[in-house]
Amino acid sequence: MRFHGLCGAAALTLALSSGAFAQQANLDLVEPVAEYKLYVSEQVSKLVMDTTAFTAAVKAGDVAKAKALFAPTRLSYEAIEPIAELFSDLDAAIDSRADDYENGEANPEFPGFHRIEYGLWEKNSTDGLAPVADKLLADVKELDSRIAALTFPPEKVVGGAAVLMEEVAATKISGEEDRYSHTDLWDFRGNFDGARKIVDLVRPLIAKKEAKFLKTVDANFAQVDGILSKYKKGDGYVTYDKLTEADRKVLATAVNTLAEDLSTLRGKLGLD
Amino acid sequence: MLDPTDPIDSVPNALGRRYLLKGLGAAALGGALVVDGTSAAATEIAHRSVADAPIDGTASPNDRVPYLGVHQAGVVNPRPANGMLASFSVRAETLDALEDLFKTLTMRIAFLTVGGPEPQLDPKLPPADSGLLGPIIRPDNLTITVSVGASLFDERPWLAPLKPKHLLRMTGFPNDALDAALCHGDLSIQICANTQDTTIHALRDIIKTASRQLVLRWKQEGNVPVVAPGLDGRPESARNFLGFRDGSANPDSSDATAMESIVWVGKEDGEPAWALGGSYQAVRIIRNFVERWDRTPFGEQERIFGRTKISGAPLDMPDGHESDVPDYAADPEGKKTPLDAHIRLANARDSAAARNLILRRPFNYSNGVTKSGQLDQGLLFIAYQANLESGFIAVQNKLNHEPLEEYIKPIGGGYFYTLPGIRDAGDHLGSALVTAARGASR
Ligand code: HEM
Repeated sequence: MRFHGLCGAAALTLALSSGAFAQQANLDLVEPVAEYKLYVSEQVSKLVMDTTAFTAAVKAGDVAKAKALFAPTRLSYEAIEPIAELFSDLDAAIDSRADDYENGEANPEFPGFHRIEYGLWEKNSTDGLAPVADKLLADVKELDSRIAALTFPPEKVVGGAAVLMEEVAATKISGEEDRYSHTDLWDFRGNFDGARKIVDLVRPLIAKKEAKFLKTVDANFAQVDGILSKYKKGDGYVTYDKLTEADRKVLATAVNTLAEDLSTLRGKLGLD
Repeated sequence: MLDPTDPIDSVPNALGRRYLLKGLGAAALGGALVVDGTSAAATEIAHRSVADAPIDGTASPNDRVPYLGVHQAGVVNPRPANGMLASFSVRAETLDALEDLFKTLTMRIAFLTVGGPEPQLDPKLPPADSGLLGPIIRPDNLTITVSVGASLFDERPWLAPLKPKHLLRMTGFPNDALDAALCHGDLSIQICANTQDTTIHALRDIIKTASRQLVLRWKQEGNVPVVAPGLDGRPESARNFLGFRDGSANPDSSDATAMESIVWVGKEDGEPAWALGGSYQAVRIIRNFVERWDRTPFGEQERIFGRTKISGAPLDMPDGHESDVPDYAADPEGKKTPLDAHIRLANARDSAAARNLILRRPFNYSNGVTKSGQLDQGLLFIAYQANLESGFIAVQNKLNHEPLEEYIKPIGGGYFYTLPGIRDAGDHLGSALVTAARGASR
């Protein structure tokens, strides 16, 4: 994987000067990118369906049902986050956290999933959440139609695998993402699935040349799988606070290594 | 040994060449007191600018920046290696109390930036000074720059009518995740010096001596990397924590005319008369996601900024120098410098953008470790401009949604108005403001 180390200068010029190498790479990527788009649209359709049910429960004042639907609904969003983030206005509206607003939860502009999560878990109530739910559903539908119209940039698709791991490493491993519900392990599942999907799609293109790299990456994914399966409960996961310190450490190192390794994926595929 | 009766004249031979320039530079910029009359040395270093990295081996504890002048020190002076921005709440319920605060600050500035022996008190009492610099304070290039926030005016009916016209409470931009505990304030104090000990010493002195009126809200320390002298003798801009030269395209802070129009408020700005000679200070604490940055392709890093990483040259002349000016007119589609590159968005280099120039004076910060086990590092961004609206706010609005945002997160800061300078030994900070408020209440 340290391919820059050995032939750094050459690789660099190649990547920088684009040209034939990149064009060939783009050609090879047509199929994986098309397949990825299919995957993303399936996930978004599921997101729209699940969000419809989730927001209906919120609006009906059914706290227990809304709580049960919260984490599974987010799963598909987390899997396609790098694409969703291409629309930063929607990403902020759907998935921003209290820290993104100066007075945190007290700020009336705090929207989306986490605003509802806050009401459900901290207040154990759906009071005042109906407009937030309506807006969330509208935003998710808007995301669906924008993604349908999007030409997927290959470098964003391939880069997405690393981006997912970066997200986990920078702001999720601490448990601050789902801080009221502690359903973080579900989100991790979504993020890892999304990253692995990308690796699997481009795997045939690098299987021969990068066998060692793929082996390391797969081993790290397997470690993560191992840990997540220890914390399975029913269809989902126990709360994040149940994670032992030792497992959190393994998870953190696996995530950081995956972020480190997957950051070279674009370069390996000749993408600039 | 310094002579306590005349601290100013007691150290001239030890003063470095940068000191001389600072004295002259400040004088050229509007009549600052020139402590040392020697002028021959000035030309030699005529181009030290705010952006330039401090040169290894040139800093001396005796470096002294004159604190008197039409403008406050610490704005157009080259940055020393260390800087700090501290924000305070001000108590001052009356104009007299506010005046008292300004006088106290002026007194401390006069002592700390000039240096001298600290007073020795009865050992049964707490010492007058923290003592962390020893019994004799040396100036160490110290500047202390005092600015006031919108809330100082808003919360005091007797001061409110005198608020500078663009001064407001900082509002969030799309990529911000502002932490209320790191935002705003009634008064900011920027402290810069060669060493961190000197900045901390000054802060502790101010906290001790002005505690009647000031409550510390937040502070952020930072530094500027000290570099070896460049091979070609040309000054180099210091690098930030993303590894890029920062400040290459900063306006030349040794150009007094440019500074008058870009940085200092003049008659044409339509501000209250007391505010002449001041400036708007925009402060932003901007976290950098350095781990993620270090995993970003080299070519993409360069395209995000629009400059080469190694030399800082603009991407349309990669073999050039960081001071070369990019030619965007020749690259309308952004083939060389992407249209959304940081420098291209921040300054399109056309006549419209010429109205949005600002003087950036940032420091790198490195705090601790985040909850997620990542490095808490970033940029203590400080910019000065004569018009906040067409300066920082306009530029930030152009930068909204830039690709760099993936790697940065503004978490704090505030807008302040840097008071006009302390004109002479009989003057004090904010004197024109206090006089105006007194006149209005009569
Ligand atoms: C962590 C945040 C930031 C980083 C790492 C950063 C870095 C840089 C770098 C490397 C340059 C190129 C060298 C130079 O000309 O100085 C630059 C230029 C510039 N930046 Fe930033 N910057 C940041 C935030 C900001 C902000 C918040 C503003 C103002 C709203 C800003 C305004 C500018 C301007 C005006 C230029 C000069 C553009 C030109 O005239 O060509 N920057 N910055």
